[in-house]
Amino acid sequence: MAGGGWKLARNRSSVTAQLPLILCTVLAFVIVLLGKAEASIFDTARAKFSDWSAPALTALQGPVVAVQRWASGVSTFFSVYEENLQLREENEALRRWQDVALSLEQRVSRYELLLNAVPDPVLPSITAQVIGQSSRPFVQTMIVNAGIAHNVKKGQAVLDDRGLIGRVYVTGDTTSWIIRLTDLNSRVPVVLRPSNRRGILVGNNSMAPDLHLDSGEAPVEPGDRVYSTADGGLVPPDLPVGILMGEGDNLRVRLFADPDLSDYVQIVDYVAAIDPPPDDEGVPIGVPPATPEDLSATGVDTEAQAIADGVRPQ
Amino acid sequence: MSAARAFTLLTPAFLAVFALVLANLPVSVTGGLVPPPLLGLAVLYYWTLLRPDLIPPVLVLAIGLAEDFLSGGPPGLWAVGYLAAYALSDRQRDAFAGLSGWGVVIGFSAAMLTAAASAYLVGSLVYWRLTPPQPLLVQSIVTVVLYPLVAIILGVIHRNVVGASRGDD
Repeated sequence: MAGGGWKLARNRSSVTAQLPLILCTVLAFVIVLLGKAEASIFDTARAKFSDWSAPALTALQGPVVAVQRWASGVSTFFSVYEENLQLREENEALRRWQDVALSLEQRVSRYELLLNAVPDPVLPSITAQVIGQSSRPFVQTMIVNAGIAHNVKKGQAVLDDRGLIGRVYVTGDTTSWIIRLTDLNSRVPVVLRPSNRRGILVGNNSMAPDLHLDSGEAPVEPGDRVYSTADGGLVPPDLPVGILMGEGDNLRVRLFADPDLSDYVQIVDYVAAIDPPPDDEGVPIGVPPATPEDLSATGVDTEAQAIADGVRPQ
Repeated sequence: MSAARAFTLLTPAFLAVFALVLANLPVSVTGGLVPPPLLGLAVLYYWTLLRPDLIPPVLVLAIGLAEDFLSGGPPGLWAVGYLAAYALSDRQRDAFAGLSGWGVVIGFSAAMLTAAASAYLVGSLVYWRLTPPQPLLVQSIVTVVLYPLVAIILGVIHRNVVGASRGDD
């Protein structure tokens, strides 16, 4: 058998016999180069294909999600007791944090009123259903059921209720492809708090993208929070991204969002004109600073006075 | 050529396309934990050994390009990988076809490794940096683990539909 195999191999090694294979291989490399130079051709074709297959993908989502939930239910069945105890502890901790957050929210609103601060703009956005996920060695993408018909544009930021997921990179008529922060092609400007160091979040196809910091001097530490910045003009600022891990040159970011668990995502239209906040929700620009009577009415008394006197409230 | 004969000859190509589409459905029952297997490569490898006359290089190129298109990756990446695996299995066909038991898995592992290494090199050139090899390794392992099951199913189809006659005999 082996001898015959080697004989066959020798016979097939002539250039004439191998010509179709050689031609196809050359053609494949040409397509690699063409795809690198003219990626839009292939992206447009993909968008058309996802538009065409969207109804089938939407129909498939139901049973697949049911199977996913069933599988995850089976895997946690034997650890329900431990998980229940853990959830109770987390719930108690979260209640304490909720009190702190509410207190801080009230304090910030007082400061904003006191300083006549411009409130955060309300960004127009739409919510879309995730109808496809592609988590592969060279690509990490999602497909959502919103496209050009819903005013989705290339480059817009996509987030779930936990944080930034990625950006739109291909738009069809009724579907869009989203490149996740973990994809090899993903580059997103970010800022670290509290150091305010800026950097670029670079996807590496793992769950924790690399962070390339700027040349600043401010120290950063594991556990620092990472937010998006408006550098580049596409991603809205201050969207939560993740938490810094690692030290030195090996900095990575553990993401808040988990696209694999996201059924619905929010697509933020940051490029479009920003809607001014409604009159009853914000303080219009040009209004004189709040008077002591205004502050008393909102409950700001001793803190306001302390800030007015240049004393940091305790 | 009768319709039945045409159906027989086109069965490997149809099954390769079917396996490709099945593996590239953009849904995952594992919640994205495990990358989908390269079922299209498994089908191509199986019939490259048994009926190479039904698996021309242009079909391998087309299935590889379809893999790139459906997976959302750079075009041509898996086309090169599939062609590299095809070149290996075609040249060493009689050695691979004579394997049995664990040898079948080892033979396919060699083809899978060739495809993965080629795709890795092309991917690194396209992105102009060394990409993390772990996800590709996991995908290769998943494909190899599933290959015996795929081979059993294809074996039934081969015996009942395609037939054992070899085009170059």
